[in-house]
Amino acid sequence: MKLEDFRRKQTEGALSEEELRAAVEREFQVIGRRLRRTDGLAKSTGRAVYTDDIALPGMLHAKILRSPHAHARILSIDVTRALELEGVHAVVTGSDMPVAYGIIPWTRDEYPLCIDVARYVGDGVAAVAAIDEDTANAALDLIDVEYEVLPALLDPEEALDHPETPIHEPVKPGGNGNISKHVKLEFGDAAAMLTASDVVVEGEYFFEGTTHTAIEPHCAIGYQDAAGSLTVWSATQVPHYLHRELARVLDLDVARVRVVQPPIGGAFGGKSEPFDLEFCVAKLSMITGRPVKILYTREEVFYAHRGRHPMLMRYATGADRNGRIKAVNAETILDGGAYSSFGLVTTYYSGQLITAPYQMESYRFESTRVYTNKPCCGPKRGHGSVQPRFAIEVQLDKIAEALDIDPIEIRRRNLLGADTRTVNEFRVTSNGFLECLAEAERASEWTNKYRRLPYGRGVGVAGPCYISGTNYPIYPNEMPQSAVQLQVDRSGRVAVFSGASEIGQGSDSMLAYIVAEELGVPLDYVRILSADTDLTPVDLGAYSSRVTFMCGNACIDAARKIKKQVREAVAESWGAKAKQVALAGGWAFDAKDTAQKMPISEAFNLAETRYGTLGATGYYNTPKDIHGEYRGGTIGSSPAYSFTAHVAEVEVDPETGFVEVQKIWIAHDCGRALNPVLVEGQMEGSAYMGFAEAIMEAHVFKETGLHNAPSLLDYKIPTSLDTPEMESLIIESIDPEGPYGAKEAGEGPLHPSIPAIANAIYDAVGVRMDRLPFSPPAVWRAIRDRGAREKAGELAAWKSRAALSAAGD
Amino acid sequence: MIEPIVLTVNGDTREVGVPSHYTLLETLRYILGLTGSKQGCDKGDCGACTVLLDGAPVLACILPVQEAIGTEITTIEGLAGADGTHPLQEALDLTGAAQCGFCTPGILMSAAALLAENADPSHDEIRSALSGNLCRCTGYTKIYEAVERAARAGQKQSQRAGR
Amino acid sequence: MLRLHPYVYHRPTTLAEALELLREHAGDVMSIAGGTDLVPNMKHKLFTPGHLVALKGVNELHGIEERDGELVIGAAETLTNVATHPLVKELFPALAEAAQAIAHPMIRNQGTIGGNICLDTRCTYYNQSYFWRDALGFCLKKDGDLCHVVKGGTKCVAAHSADTPPILMALGAAIDIASAAGVRSEPLRDFFTADGIWNKKLERDEIVTRVRVPHGEAGSRAVYMKVRERQSVDFPLLGIALALKLNDGAAVDSISLVVAALGAKPRVVGGLEKLAIGRKLAPDVIEEVAQQAYRQCNPLDNLIVEIEWRRAMVPVYVRRAFERILAEPRAVA
Repeated sequence: MKLEDFRRKQTEGALSEEELRAAVEREFQVIGRRLRRTDGLAKSTGRAVYTDDIALPGMLHAKILRSPHAHARILSIDVTRALELEGVHAVVTGSDMPVAYGIIPWTRDEYPLCIDVARYVGDGVAAVAAIDEDTANAALDLIDVEYEVLPALLDPEEALDHPETPIHEPVKPGGNGNISKHVKLEFGDAAAMLTASDVVVEGEYFFEGTTHTAIEPHCAIGYQDAAGSLTVWSATQVPHYLHRELARVLDLDVARVRVVQPPIGGAFGGKSEPFDLEFCVAKLSMITGRPVKILYTREEVFYAHRGRHPMLMRYATGADRNGRIKAVNAETILDGGAYSSFGLVTTYYSGQLITAPYQMESYRFESTRVYTNKPCCGPKRGHGSVQPRFAIEVQLDKIAEALDIDPIEIRRRNLLGADTRTVNEFRVTSNGFLECLAEAERASEWTNKYRRLPYGRGVGVAGPCYISGTNYPIYPNEMPQSAVQLQVDRSGRVAVFSGASEIGQGSDSMLAYIVAEELGVPLDYVRILSADTDLTPVDLGAYSSRVTFMCGNACIDAARKIKKQVREAVAESWGAKAKQVALAGGWAFDAKDTAQKMPISEAFNLAETRYGTLGATGYYNTPKDIHGEYRGGTIGSSPAYSFTAHVAEVEVDPETGFVEVQKIWIAHDCGRALNPVLVEGQMEGSAYMGFAEAIMEAHVFKETGLHNAPSLLDYKIPTSLDTPEMESLIIESIDPEGPYGAKEAGEGPLHPSIPAIANAIYDAVGVRMDRLPFSPPAVWRAIRDRGAREKAGELAAWKSRAALSAAGD
Repeated sequence: MIEPIVLTVNGDTREVGVPSHYTLLETLRYILGLTGSKQGCDKGDCGACTVLLDGAPVLACILPVQEAIGTEITTIEGLAGADGTHPLQEALDLTGAAQCGFCTPGILMSAAALLAENADPSHDEIRSALSGNLCRCTGYTKIYEAVERAARAGQKQSQRAGR
Repeated sequence: MLRLHPYVYHRPTTLAEALELLREHAGDVMSIAGGTDLVPNMKHKLFTPGHLVALKGVNELHGIEERDGELVIGAAETLTNVATHPLVKELFPALAEAAQAIAHPMIRNQGTIGGNICLDTRCTYYNQSYFWRDALGFCLKKDGDLCHVVKGGTKCVAAHSADTPPILMALGAAIDIASAAGVRSEPLRDFFTADGIWNKKLERDEIVTRVRVPHGEAGSRAVYMKVRERQSVDFPLLGIALALKLNDGAAVDSISLVVAALGAKPRVVGGLEKLAIGRKLAPDVIEEVAQQAYRQCNPLDNLIVEIEWRRAMVPVYVRRAFERILAEPRAVA
């Protein structure tokens, strides 16, 4: 091909002269536009290769034998018969991997396979690698395990009362081995302020456990090659932490361990720590020298869990007569399940994350996480704060009711505002909550609806905040939280090496938009290579809504280094000033004279000629002065907070208790929408997930500790016919530290669905739903009880409807 | 027991040796290497494995492979012709309706069957047609948008073709 | 992935061949049509036959036609076909609706009307994996001798969970059953038994071949109401089928009310002749029928839903069934 042909090919899709002139007028060329994802077509054509889609030569399949008892001592395990089965290559048990692990370094209390004690039905006991799944399954039946069944503690309050049956050894001798974590913090004098309040509302709330239910079951493949290097492909959202834990538990040189995260079929927090299958495939490969795969059954996914903690929350909220919050006192018991997981953090979050968007004069909380003999709870989307957010927003609704203040108005009156500190000393910068409230109010036609819809129909409002990443890594270090490396080809193609985990939220796309914005290359010139610990710089993982904020900033940092070199090199060739040179739409051009231009690849070539091979790294680390200095003051502090307000409209069938959520208006302050399509997708997906928890999901157990419903038939997640209409209203507060002003969008908008629906049910039929889920039987019973009280003259008929006839017929 | 079975998948007819207790999904994914159809629930509850049998969406994970003999099987890999993408794939990409993408192949097969039968489906018809395909990421909103968009694109195409 | 056990899959094309295969492998064989019930159950190791006899390819089991004053539906017709066939929609819209209310589109494309009639009973302690059931200690219906629903119970109370039988029963339908001995016909009302382990009068070597629904007389109306948590996918928590005939004076000539999904056998509410025949459908009559149903229906903890609520829903949905019948005269036979 001749040079001219190269040039023609390169500029075919580039901006025209006219478009370039228009581009100069715009603040951004790529950011803020409704663009495609980088992985959309691969996914919609079935070409994206997920972990279970990988088949390696000679690959073995493994299965894990699981405890049928909720609590049992393992007296002996005999694998002789299993090993004798034709086609079986290896069997491992707990004693083969006797190193405890856990995502939080201070609470390592799990083993890849149980040693001595099994703590829930489904706890892994042994693993078999065989030529195929059927053979591995058959071998499981040939493993003889002798158990001594121990009393199973399934209720957290019961577990607290029975320290003589410790699920774990107490940390301190004589302590209660069933207490996983206890946190008590007070800011101001909450007791005194409650006394000084004009109105005090007390309530007990129960948030039922729920689970992530990503459609892709967990899957991992391990392979240790002849040279001793171990690679694990896994559906994980924390490759970096998995990398470290694999090396530590298996006693390998961390430099000889590689973790690769293929495209992942949903995570939502359910894949954010190491699991038994990852250790087992690695160990079994180390023994057999062959690749080994484990794919969980759906039932095993329910046992792996790490979902929403059931929480029992007792709240007292005091306010003055104008509705301003003077005090909040919260006492919370968290049902942690069998292990710690992120539980230390969850326990703090259950108190620390609710101090915005409302100003509180004083705040006290006491949270206790308790072990029970059930699958382990952990972080699910909106980690730790979805439950207390439900309580606090319903409390606020009750105060508004008591003081006869409109629920949106009472939220305005308690506004925390921007550039301030919360009662627990978190620094808050940008804050678009007021705009969120206004938009939700306007779009939902709130004032025409609240208390004005006929009996059975109602609206409710709620509003939370959420973190854009946590301020500190899970293991203490001062290194960057996120980093990106860019490599520029002479063709103009830019490769982005990033440790960030694309879990469906669009983080790969986000990086591509940033590179296209900064370097002026067409979007399809950007290649993203993410989450491969051999090739990509460290990012801590896709959790706590940190990726856009942190990895986005890291990417801007890297891209601007290259941009500077390119502009200087081009400016030199034109005899112009570097600041005159713009990069956009496939060109480097003179911003003052758009006729002066060259294809971006030529600009890169000039820069390479002058500076040598083009490449750059960028990183992000959090500011360190944005929280209080008290113990635990760092947990929950974030460089920026998102804000949301939902209005939900419901129709309640008073005879049956069925609640139809008709619509949710989602107003969310995401700082800046880097791509509104993706932001809306996060808002809608979050609101949907909250709705699902509110109405139907319940991760519960039978008396023996057996999971009630470990299938997608019996664990109800909404179908298309159940899901309400949703309208996304993006609010852009432009955060001073976020990438182009962006903050999180993927977790905050889950929170308000639940209290907004609860408050809407109250508006519809006058019953307070303080326990989740708002299932037909629960709502029906509440309506019946209210009907009986109305009949007895204790309550006025709600919305002037006729008192229910023959309650309970 | 390995059974020789003749299957027609995405237009290709071939004889394959399949263990007789395999489902169609296991055959597609693990024998034919067509991994686009996904496995999410093991047993017919989620729709991720949806493929078309003679144009009708069915669940490959609970279909004994022998039931597919003599039918035209279409998987996500066969949805687009050689000339590019199916309008649904394009629409899905434009609307951001695939997040994690794991339910996407099943959703698209259900949607394609709907559009083949009904070029101009109502919103409620789309919701019903997709009611066996669980999506955990999107809340379905963008998926409806994609199907509506693809339907419009399909209509324009037929108009241009003078049909 | 949950795996199936090894089996031989037979695909006969005639009824005679199918019956012969059932005879030949007696004790180690099951027939399979759509497989939407059987395959998940086999994945749970609830059934592990060495031979499966596929019925979808059997010609005699297909066809939907009007014959001798009856609508005749081949047992291997898919639920989609039943739900959308013009004859069914015209003659028995309530049957079409019941078929349409089953599970979701793919299940309806695979599952058959014969399979729906023969659907295995369901229970929260039964429809679980082998691991789960083993951890439980198994149950009366499969592999064990304890009932976990009725403690100490000796009779299985797994729930009849099919949507088309209640309305077919209310409509007075019969089924044809073939065996090596010939074809017999059984009114669907007499087909089910209260034994949750095997709740049908169907020998293991028999095949349901046809469903026959007699034409209603002028004034006949019917409706099926399904209560479920989700608007798709789910089995019924409660199914209520109501068929009645009003005479010229709008008084009730005949009435049939079937409540399903509670126990092993759909319950035909008794004593309605006395309550309703000859009376106009005034609210008090409807209420009396609703209360009669309430008295006769006692749900158990066999499904994951509160039984008090489930029982309370019986009269609510009976009333709603009447309301629909009165509001939509075409919801009818």
